[in-house]
Amino acid sequence: MAQDDLAGLLAACARRDRAAFERLYRATAPKLFGVALRILRREDWAEDVLQECYLRIWDHAPAYRAGLAAPMTWMTSIVRNRCLDWLRRPRLEVIDEEGELIEAAPSADPGPLEELESSSDARALKRCLDALEAKQRQAIALAYYDGLSHAELASQLRAPLGTVKTWVRRGLLRLKACLETA
Amino acid sequence: MNWRGKPQLQERLAAEYALGTLRGLARQRFERWMREDAALARAAAEWQARLAPLAAGVRPVAPPERLWRQIQARLGAAAPGSLWENLAFWRGLGLAASGAAAVLLAAVALVSPQAPVPAPAPVVLKVPSTEMAEVYLAVLSDPKTNKPLLLVTAGRHADQMQVRTLDPSIRVSGKDLELWALPAGGVPTSLGLVGETERSMVKLAAVASRSLANVPTLAISLEPKGGSPTGRATGPVLAVGPCIKFW
Repeated sequence: MAQDDLAGLLAACARRDRAAFERLYRATAPKLFGVALRILRREDWAEDVLQECYLRIWDHAPAYRAGLAAPMTWMTSIVRNRCLDWLRRPRLEVIDEEGELIEAAPSADPGPLEELESSSDARALKRCLDALEAKQRQAIALAYYDGLSHAELASQLRAPLGTVKTWVRRGLLRLKACLETA
Repeated sequence: MNWRGKPQLQERLAAEYALGTLRGLARQRFERWMREDAALARAAAEWQARLAPLAAGVRPVAPPERLWRQIQARLGAAAPGSLWENLAFWRGLGLAASGAAAVLLAAVALVSPQAPVPAPAPVVLKVPSTEMAEVYLAVLSDPKTNKPLLLVTAGRHADQMQVRTLDPSIRVSGKDLELWALPAGGVPTSLGLVGETERSMVKLAAVASRSLANVPTLAISLEPKGGSPTGRATGPVLAVGPCIKFW
């Protein structure tokens, strides 16, 4: 669904239109569930987070400003933020047999990057990511898609913490410079 | 950390906030600063927009249907403007009921009752012809997808209805399903709560031929445990369908 349509649905949600909210949910939930699932790697957690996030989207729809963020960017940020909060929660329970763990460890392969062909923004971002050093690109992809912290990146990429922080910082700087000249 | 007057530091924090590597207390602190400083909030929003196309690469995964029902349930009682309040919707159903009856009867055939019900394919029933004689029959479907969710039958002279849940995912934990009669031109009246087993009974106030004589449509709403406290539906309408006199 086009961003304009989503903006219209969000505006209708701000007027407390539940039918519009359902259309918004149907149009966006599979993508946002995918985002949450990738970070949390457990379906039950992703369901809980998504439920909270859609209630938040409903509650905050009147505060949404189309000029500040595209609808999908706004909603994705809400979901990613909530996922990162969720991962911070002390978690005493051990993942049990029934817990649907998607995979034991985050994939070091930045697979979704290969899918970035859908829009001109995405193509520009992919071109600029491709221009980064491999380690910088990998660190950024793992942080974004899998929600890894600096410490988790260091362990995943088997590199010292300071080195990983530098990859991320320099990678982001180069990414911005590249996007601005695009 | 003093970030004021340090544009490079601000930029770095905004970028790492959007990427997600700014964590823990530092993340909370940054969120507080953003509320006080519009420029910082804008820098973070710009970074979120820059990275947003990454999400396009994530494979979409359809969440289970119960998630939407749980969200609906947590939104609370239906607001004005909902399906339940929409008289035109109910009138339309009333008019459609007689046509739907013909369609439904055309779909009745003999197959194993264990066969999974394909959605939204026609519901197929196995009923020995001798018992087929004089019953009320209603297939209640999701009003959005038309997927059949419950089957309600009552013998003409019986004072109870048999309810069969075709799709257990209609249930929401901590909530009850309430069955409603929607009389032609009248207000919906509660017939009772649907039991939690696949097959359950709902007791009627009088024999079916009286209770359901003027009821072209049945509906299911999601209600707090124990049923609607107000005597009318307070939650979303999960299923609806024509109630047909089958003789």
